[in-house]
Amino acid sequence: MEKRRKTRLAKTGPLLLIAVPGILYLLINNYLPMFGVFLAFKDFNYFKGIFGSDWSGFDNFRFLFKTRDAWIMTRNTLLYNAAFIIIGTIAAIFIAILLYELGQRRRVRLFQSALMLPNLFSWVVIGFVVYAFLNADTGFLNNTVFPWLGIQPFSWYSTPGPWPAILILVYLWKYMGVTSIVYIASIAGIDKGVYEAAQIDGATKIQQIIKITVPLLKPTVIIMVLMAIGRIFYSDFGLFYQVPQNSGRLFGVTQTIDTYVYRGLMELNDVGMSAAAALYQSVVGLLLVLGANALVRKLDSENALF
Amino acid sequence: MKTKKILSIITMAALLLAMLGTVTPATAASYDKVVYAYATFNNIPSEDVLATVEEAINQITREKIGVEVELMPIMIWDYSSTVSLALQGGEQVDIFQTLGDLNTSISNGMSMDVTDLVAQYAPEAAELIGANWLAATSHNGRLYGLPTFKPIALTPMLVYRQDIADALGLDMSAVNSVADIGAVLEAVKAGYPDMTPLAAVNTGNIGLGLTVPDVDYLTDNYFSPKGVLMNDELTVVDFYASDAFTQLCNTAREWYLNDLVMKDAATTSSTAAELMSSGNYFAYLASYSYPEADTAASLEAQTGGYDLGAKIVSSAFLDTSSINALTWCVASTSKVPEAAVKFLNLTFTDPDVVNLIIYGLEGRDYVLSDGFMSYPEGQEASTVPYTAQLSCGTLGNFFIMYPMAGTDPESLAWELEQNQNAKTSVAMGFTFDSSSVKTEYTAVTNVIEQYLPGLICGSVDPATEIPVFLERLQEAGIGDIIAAKQAQLDAWVAANK
Repeated sequence: MEKRRKTRLAKTGPLLLIAVPGILYLLINNYLPMFGVFLAFKDFNYFKGIFGSDWSGFDNFRFLFKTRDAWIMTRNTLLYNAAFIIIGTIAAIFIAILLYELGQRRRVRLFQSALMLPNLFSWVVIGFVVYAFLNADTGFLNNTVFPWLGIQPFSWYSTPGPWPAILILVYLWKYMGVTSIVYIASIAGIDKGVYEAAQIDGATKIQQIIKITVPLLKPTVIIMVLMAIGRIFYSDFGLFYQVPQNSGRLFGVTQTIDTYVYRGLMELNDVGMSAAAALYQSVVGLLLVLGANALVRKLDSENALF
Repeated sequence: MKTKKILSIITMAALLLAMLGTVTPATAASYDKVVYAYATFNNIPSEDVLATVEEAINQITREKIGVEVELMPIMIWDYSSTVSLALQGGEQVDIFQTLGDLNTSISNGMSMDVTDLVAQYAPEAAELIGANWLAATSHNGRLYGLPTFKPIALTPMLVYRQDIADALGLDMSAVNSVADIGAVLEAVKAGYPDMTPLAAVNTGNIGLGLTVPDVDYLTDNYFSPKGVLMNDELTVVDFYASDAFTQLCNTAREWYLNDLVMKDAATTSSTAAELMSSGNYFAYLASYSYPEADTAASLEAQTGGYDLGAKIVSSAFLDTSSINALTWCVASTSKVPEAAVKFLNLTFTDPDVVNLIIYGLEGRDYVLSDGFMSYPEGQEASTVPYTAQLSCGTLGNFFIMYPMAGTDPESLAWELEQNQNAKTSVAMGFTFDSSSVKTEYTAVTNVIEQYLPGLICGSVDPATEIPVFLERLQEAGIGDIIAAKQAQLDAWVAANK
């Protein structure tokens, strides 16, 4: 017994040591700051300090629900993220399959690099790329494409209508390549024998994809979706702030919880309210992960995250 | 196997050590050390360079007040958040400046009550600034900081391309109000069809907002006022419900529809200087505190070197925020408030100290001739080791700084006169404490951000948008803000009049 424990430690000890920096990082970066959540319930005062400030109950949360913006920004955050999860996953799998079927050739690497490239750009740069297309006076669409097609110039940054589509398109352009990598890796992990057997049975390429590749990707899809659901209350700040150029007219379709908090607190610099917004996002996010996981466990217990 | 294990342990140890970082040993100081955090628009100098300037200042301060100073320049756009985080984190910052948010820093306890300290350690600065101005940085009779002593009267001006005005034979001296600007812009549009006559000042602002005369913003941000006084009355009103605002929006709309103003002014991220540099714009509207000729001359270098002119189109108006927007405060967490106040006093009274902070070391960072400052041969603001020249109107006493070569010595007199003679608000000295309505404040700010840029830049129709805007403001609680302001104002009037 004693001996077995010793050998186990000898086996896992070095591995544990390797994990130490990661664990420390997690503790310092993710767990230590959590200590500050109680600031959400305080009326923070610099002189009285973190502990000395007065308790203020749920006062700090009020601003989140003060106007009809509360509904708009929650709706936008949830719907956009839902759209990103669904459309993003489908697009990523589609690309992964296409790239994989092309085989390991040079052109695959070229395509892959080209698809990855947008992910390296910051949102500020992407914001300006979009701006170059949509600018009212000098934009590519208004200046070149529309006159050619005989369409009237269009005031993009003051018309909310097309923005959900634009934002989803920009999101896909930036992230599709990167997310597809995960799926390419898991397709590569599928046993070749299965495909060979299918081929012998006379299955076409399309049938192989639909009947073999897609079903076998299910566990990966579930994990990725669960992780995404955990962050469904967080929005990609740069996408919603930089890409619409902070245009007030578009807030109805571009305002998310993060941009609302940022805009509202830029002027006041209020610690308590910022903490309240973050806590609200985290709590609802956690509930959603637990809920989604419970659902998965019920439907397909093997693939549940925990 | 064993060597591998040892290797991994060594690697671990190295990583851990790297994470711990280096700890700088504290130097033993016999003088109180004051940390002076100021906003800079220039490059942040290197540590070594900063140390040389600090040492030069310390040679003066050790002897005069027994204090050592550590300079902490922070880029302007990071300033507020950096200072606020430093104070929360317990870092030493003794002196900081407000950037239009004195009320907030009073209500959240960032600024220390310095009434007695100033009386004892900074009487010269207090006398120089004067009781009237100090009232603007006081709250409930207690003093929370010293306002920067500088030309404060901001006068709205049209800054325009002189070469184009001359070519078209425009009589700019006839432009005396916003109503006169339209005709000039029309003429430019007719003469230069490829040009956009009016540029935006910055995002969502074509400069019209500040041209309404005699508005006391009651210490709100100029670009998003929430309850104001108009026409010398002591009743707080909603600026956006006023006729003056509707009129502004109509003017903007007219300009927009006639292609007189840039189309994406509401969203552009370019500033007036960048736009003017492109050569495609004729003019922009903004407020400056220098005389017309000086303003135009000082802007030429930043706007592509075109020959510029400036014309005053409305009058200056002084309210509490004109004075307290830039206020020097002692942090409530400071361990050395006496030393901090002593040093602040020097930034208002000692030319050597102020000029060191703003221009650095004479000979290395700048040269002096006949009392005028210029950069050394072959150098400019971006290449000298140290300069904070663009912060000139924000540090201590502007009037004891060396003027830059090329400015008119007469200007100082004009500026001082504007300070004294500009029309002053009936509520001068009143400051609003927003802490009781901060939820509404945040909500209203968001509504303003959504509707104001489009309206004030003409990209939406005021007839349909203003009613919606006003309704949303009501929902967000602007009524509560106005009521709170009125109550505090009434109390202030009762105590001060």
